[in-house]
Order: sequence, then structure tokens, then C-alpha cells
Amino acid sequence: MVAGLATEQSIVIPDKMLSDAAIAVHHQEVSTIDPESKQVKTSAGQSYSYDKLFLAMGSSPFIPPIEGRDLEGVVTLRDLVDATAIKKRLASGGKQIVFIGAGFISMEIAALLAEQGGDATRITVVELMDRVLPLMLDGDMAEGVQRYLADEKINFITGDKVEKIIGQNGKVKGVLLASGRKIEADLVFLNIGVRPNLELARDIGLEMGDYGIKVNGYQETSAPDILAGGDCVQKYSFITGKPTAGQLRGPAVVQGRLAAKRLAGFDISFPGVLDAGGCKMLDMTVTATGLTETRAREEGFETVSAIVDSRSKHGMIAGMAPWRLKLVFDKNNHRLLGGQIVSRDIAPAREIDAVSAFIFGKKTIAELTTFTSACNPDISSEPSAEPITIAAEQALQKATKS
Amino acid sequence: MQAGEKLVVVGCSGAGGPMAMMAKKLMPEIDITVFRKEEHFIVR
Repeated sequence: MVAGLATEQSIVIPDKMLSDAAIAVHHQEVSTIDPESKQVKTSAGQSYSYDKLFLAMGSSPFIPPIEGRDLEGVVTLRDLVDATAIKKRLASGGKQIVFIGAGFISMEIAALLAEQGGDATRITVVELMDRVLPLMLDGDMAEGVQRYLADEKINFITGDKVEKIIGQNGKVKGVLLASGRKIEADLVFLNIGVRPNLELARDIGLEMGDYGIKVNGYQETSAPDILAGGDCVQKYSFITGKPTAGQLRGPAVVQGRLAAKRLAGFDISFPGVLDAGGCKMLDMTVTATGLTETRAREEGFETVSAIVDSRSKHGMIAGMAPWRLKLVFDKNNHRLLGGQIVSRDIAPAREIDAVSAFIFGKKTIAELTTFTSACNPDISSEPSAEPITIAAEQALQKATKS
Repeated sequence: MQAGEKLVVVGCSGAGGPMAMMAKKLMPEIDITVFRKEEHFIVR
């Protein structure tokens, strides 16, 4: 919407979809819940009774306690109000834009604005860690992304921190970094994560974890007849079993549907999250799932990994685009831990879903060496260049050498 | 849930909307009410 690719009326789940299914929709905020009488009360003062309650309050952008965060021209992007404000600001001449955080939302918006803004727009992305997309990619995969976007006139400053947002007459003028460097800006875009909306849940004393409402595998909270899902609940990593935020749309959708299945009598448990996600920047697509090698080592895994370059089509077919895959394995039990793809075509990036399936299936290096993909000259690399198989073969050699 | 019972959903983005739709599909005889604070919702 910020880039003009969707209208203000665009919405993921329109009211009509719900009302056509005979579901009542009220545009009201629920202000209180009374679990004893099983009633919710809205900010308009109306009460509604329930037999079962599902909480899906989502999350809100995290705004760090940084000086200057309240200046005009400092924005986040979560809802239509944010998007409209950014569009208005850009239309009124916001041409020096600083993104704080090189996560996927920053990177997508920065790429779109770089494409549309022309030479008059100066975009700088500041990232505390040493690379772009640090939660999705290791340094050896991120460097190509950063180089590509730098060629598209996006400036990157990694390994530095915004200490202060500088203003004048209430309006943002720039940012001051920990290194002492100053960058002029008339729009500062904050994208450093979200926090779960927990007020309602806390008010009724639901058990909490470090990352949100505690639920079991069936999305049931600590209170009878109250289930919850999505960004407001704590997830668990499928790989480590440890609590994690997992605030992505994929698990939210699945958890919502899973809660409905539970209420309908099905016995299906949520397996945990892999934090699988994607990011499209101009004609580059990045997807990732599971643990990066960096994260895996932080979690105590001894890793073995392999990077393989492949092709979107057979080498002799016109329009072939390059793509690169990285697989990360546990060196001790040889299980797949994660995958990363950087591709100049969209289609190969979806191969990450096969990587996710292999992780959920607890596949090992040896098992992946026998993987055969669906090949066709116009839709895939040659079978001999299938990168999952080759990455597994390389990892097999590395893992058995030492 | 049994026919005629009431399901209330608070929030209608990633989890809430799909939950309501799936609940109606699996249990068409229940009464579902969704509360959405936002008129519109986008992710980016």
C-alpha cells in the first residue's frame, strides 16, 4: 500500500467474507473479559456472552525508548494509519529516508521506495547486527543481498546503532549513530520487531510466558473455555523446543484454524514453529526456514553447512536466473536444521517449503542425498544441479571428513 | 461445540479471521461473533 501496489480498501479478511458465512462482525474494541460470567464487554459498553472465547489480539510495533521517537516523521508500519501517514509524508517531500533495522519489512519497503523514488530519494538502512536480514540469513548469504541492493542505491550501515533521532521544531531531521556519524533524514522508519498485545489476557490472569500467552498444543490457555493464537501467544521452536515469539502470519493462520478444529473435536497438536518466511526486494527473493548457522551455534549445535549455486531453468533455456541455497545440519546427528535461499527469480525461492518439510520430517544429510525433485527444462535446474541434493552431498563429505 | 453455542473471537487478522471461518465450516450450527478493532488491517 505504501508503494501504491494495493489500495487503502485492500484488506486481508474483508467483512463480507465473514458476513457471507453468517459470522457477525463488530468494529468494536473488547475492553474487558469476565471469565466467571463468560462475557466480553466492548468499549461501546455492550456485553456479549460466550461459551468459548478465542483471543487473537495480535501485536504492535516495538518502539524503543530512544530520544526523538515522538518527532513528526518517525513512523512504524503495522496498519492502515501508519501506511497512510507514510504515503502522505513521502508525497509532501520526504526524500531522505532512514530505516532503523534491516528486517524483512524494512528491506521490502526500502526496495520499493528506491525503485519508485528515483535519484532524488536517498535511502539508508541502519542495522545493529553485521548484516541485512540477520534473522533470516547468515553473513555468507546476506552479503549478496546487500551488494545487490547497494547497486540499487540503497545505503547500508551495519554494526552500528541509532543513539538518537534528531529533530527541529518537532520534526525529524536525522539520526545520530553510536559511532558518532549523523545521517540527515526527513522520514525515519522504525522496524525493530513487534510485541504481543497482552492487556486483556493479563487483566484476567492468563498464564504468561516470556513471549506471550501460554497455550498448549491445542491453543488452550490456562483458563477454561479460552483459547488463543497468533502473535499474542508464545510459540515453541520445533527444532530446539524452546519458547520463541514466532510472530509471523503463517503460524497465526494455522493456529487459528487449529483452535477451531479443537473446538470441533479434532485431536491435532501444533508442532512448533520454524520461523519460515520470505522477502521480495525488486527482482530478488529471499526465503529462509529453521535456524541460521549463526543461530544454531548460539543454541549450542555443532554445525555443518553447504552453499550451492543453481539455476531457475536448465542452462540452455532463455530467461534462466541464478539462485543460491544454503543448508545447515547438526554435525552430530546429521539432522537438517535450516535453509536459506537467495534467488533472482521467485519460483526457486519456494523450494524452501521442501526444506521446511524435511526439517519437520527430521531428515538427515544421507536421506537428502537421495532427494529427487520434479524437473523440467523450463521450470527447474537440471537434475544434476538440484541444489538440495548437492548441498547434502557436500555436507556429507564435510561431516565425515572430520 | 454444540449447535447454538456461542463462540466469540477477539481480533481478526492472522489468527482470528481464519479461526472464525474454519469454526463456521466445521460447526455451521454454532453462533460466531468477531470483534475487530480496526476498520482495515494491512501487514505492509
